[in-house]
Amino acid sequence: MARNDLFDDVTAIISAPDNPYISRWKASGKPVIGYFCQYAPPELLLAAGALPVRLRGAGSEDSASGDALMSSRVCTFVRHVMSLVLDDAYDFLDGEISVNTCDHVRRAADVFTKKSALPFHGFISVPRTPRESLFDYYLGELRKLQAALAEHFKVVIDRESLNRAIRQTNGTRRRLSALNQLRRLERPKLSGAKALSVHIAAQLMPPDDFAELADNLLAELESFEGYDPPTVRLFVTGAELDEPAYIAAIESQDALVVADDICFGERSVFGSIDENSDDPLDAIARATFFRTSCARMIGDFPNRWERLNRRVAETKADGVIFQRLIFCDPWGAEQHNLLHRLQSDPAFPILSLLREYGVVPTGQLRTRVQAFVEKIEIARVRNGAAGGGA
Amino acid sequence: MSRKPLQQVPEWLQLFQSMPNIQRFFAGDSNAHGMNSLLKSLNVYLKKMLHHNDSDHPFVWYNLGFNSELIYALGDVCPVPVESLGVMHSLIGSHDITLEFIDHAQACGVPNDCCSADKLAIGAMHKQVYPQPACTVGINTPCDAQVLSTQVIAELGQAPFFAIDVPYYHNDETIRHVAKQLWELVPFLEAHTRRKLDYDRLREVCELSNRMTETIWEWLEWRKRAPLAQSSKLVAFTLILQILFTGSEEGLAIAQGLLREARERSERDERFFEERVRAVWYQDPVWTDLQIYDWFERELGLTVPVDIFGFYAHEGLIDTRTPETMMLGLARKLVACHPMARQFRGNIDVYIRDFMHMVEAWNADCCIFAGHIACKHAWGGIGLFKEALRKADIPLLIFEFDMFDPRVTPYQDVFFEVERFVNEIVYPRKQRKASA
Ligand code: SF4
Ligand code: SF4
Repeated sequence: MARNDLFDDVTAIISAPDNPYISRWKASGKPVIGYFCQYAPPELLLAAGALPVRLRGAGSEDSASGDALMSSRVCTFVRHVMSLVLDDAYDFLDGEISVNTCDHVRRAADVFTKKSALPFHGFISVPRTPRESLFDYYLGELRKLQAALAEHFKVVIDRESLNRAIRQTNGTRRRLSALNQLRRLERPKLSGAKALSVHIAAQLMPPDDFAELADNLLAELESFEGYDPPTVRLFVTGAELDEPAYIAAIESQDALVVADDICFGERSVFGSIDENSDDPLDAIARATFFRTSCARMIGDFPNRWERLNRRVAETKADGVIFQRLIFCDPWGAEQHNLLHRLQSDPAFPILSLLREYGVVPTGQLRTRVQAFVEKIEIARVRNGAAGGGA
Repeated sequence: MSRKPLQQVPEWLQLFQSMPNIQRFFAGDSNAHGMNSLLKSLNVYLKKMLHHNDSDHPFVWYNLGFNSELIYALGDVCPVPVESLGVMHSLIGSHDITLEFIDHAQACGVPNDCCSADKLAIGAMHKQVYPQPACTVGINTPCDAQVLSTQVIAELGQAPFFAIDVPYYHNDETIRHVAKQLWELVPFLEAHTRRKLDYDRLREVCELSNRMTETIWEWLEWRKRAPLAQSSKLVAFTLILQILFTGSEEGLAIAQGLLREARERSERDERFFEERVRAVWYQDPVWTDLQIYDWFERELGLTVPVDIFGFYAHEGLIDTRTPETMMLGLARKLVACHPMARQFRGNIDVYIRDFMHMVEAWNADCCIFAGHIACKHAWGGIGLFKEALRKADIPLLIFEFDMFDPRVTPYQDVFFEVERFVNEIVYPRKQRKASA
């Protein structure tokens, strides 16, 4: 299949809650479980014989049903997801796993349990800071979930099934990693929007099917010479973002997003988990709990700051776009802390953007990105090739 | 002496200069034991703070989800809730300073949709008004706003930071999990304050804390009497007591003042107005202008015998027999009793259940959901809350406002909403019921 056809496939997979892979999985009599946050490890769901499907708001035209129950003061991502749930678009799910990611997802869990007909609800209380002494609590939560899944779906989740699931997700991460390397080239072979689409697809389809799709993509991209070097290479970070159109709007301004640190994107690619552990759930828990943290993890900002600096340098990004969904407190703190650090250490130029989920990027976004790109270019001219703070 | 005298910090100086006048103003009502004891204890706290500052004693910063016992138990260590200065200015009516803190936080990158309690704290930290801490403590309760606040404390405190994780569930495992972290916190505090925790001293502090809790419970019992004899505006003070004063003589003195006033006014059967309607004020008090409750009483006959910041759940006292039982008791206070933390951190059921209990126990006619715009967890549950109230046939008023920032919803709008609700819905309905 040609490169463009493959990307068309990816677009079809991610544009609505359901997709042909999910339907096929369901048709074979196996369960599908929705989950909100990556601190709910998909390996555990796969080991339970279920297809993990990351919950999204794609396909939601308005959030009226969510607004009615949750008000308009809740994160628009959560409102769109819950609108789809309330409007039965997620009826194909056999269960859902919520996490205390933030207040908004907590309330979504209330709506899930009280207003949806889903037969299974799991919940993970993830400690708010990735400290070693709190790890056992998280592992305990996963063990409880393991028992609940086994009981509800009448399956055995053992060492073998967990290690098999680890091998599958390691395969997914390996392939995504290889694709991401193609974004770093002088002439990137993958745009940020396309890369995000592929990362999202990986969270909505069976790992074996994704492996086939990704291998085909990698093979096709081999012969592609890449895009012309962009005027500006950007790094995107911040809150939940699973809308490739948003990245495409950024990239329409003489820029390419060569790397990101968003949970639907590259933050989902955190290296590999030991495939032969005697206690695979421990291995999964450790990899998940101590992965690059999300802004909901208190006191870990210094590590995130250090990693962001390192990755911006490694990927030769000229600037960083920080985006935040309105009403999101965890990423509100991150915005403050980033701006605070940058004041004393202007390591890179930054543009901070406020988003609403499901809103088609407007001219205003393009204008702001355009001005940011120009600012970077002017600084580059002023400072010579070495770049410097714009 | 290495620290700047607090009298040289304009925001503190204004507070020190205002306090005697405010004390004199309220002293005019010799029966206002609640307000008078609060002001007296605040004054004592401020004097001690000056002394700690001048003597170079360690300061420990923390956020509003934490309680002060462990810090008092360390001896000459000063507890500093990072919200305290902005809140004190709001309480004494110097809103210009509170709003300046809020605006400054926003100018420093805190989004405007975040909680004003955080913003006034962050603005104050940026302006470096608090003495430099020896270390800082952050707890994730009651809500995401405190996640924001603690992340910023960790960043701006420039001191070692300890995070306490409170899980989602309401069970004993949660209490044990938090107690385990308090055991970790002790050596952290000891190392950074260079003070050894003496468990006999901790026992004394916990006993004071218990006496304060028992006094609060008794006080809230008196406030169940109808008609309410004590001012509505005092009820939310429970929260301040737990954050800043619990475990101190001052805390006990405030609680005793509140109780004495409620009891004496009830026994004298005092009446300054006719009580027509009793409401449970759910969500946040109007800290920007507590006089608004006087207005409700005088103009509408509306009283608020209890609110979410004032309610202190009966979850037992701290068992002071051993260090282990004390840590468990302190953890239980933080997760199961502390106002807001109890209702807001988990699922919506506790929030709804506590409300139903308050309506019944305090014999309320209605609910006023004063929707602080940043309480996204409460707004996120509003549909389920409304359903529960509809089923229980309890009239409900919902409005948006900001508890520290009157620019969000002007007083007039709050007046208008409450007046219409009381006069057109609740009171006529109550009369209809009475005559049926
Ligand atoms: S974007 Fe923020 S508010 Fe929305 S779900 Fe994620 S953490 Fe929660
Ligand atoms: S519960 Fe509401 S008022 Fe309290 S800290 Fe959270 S957002 Fe602020």
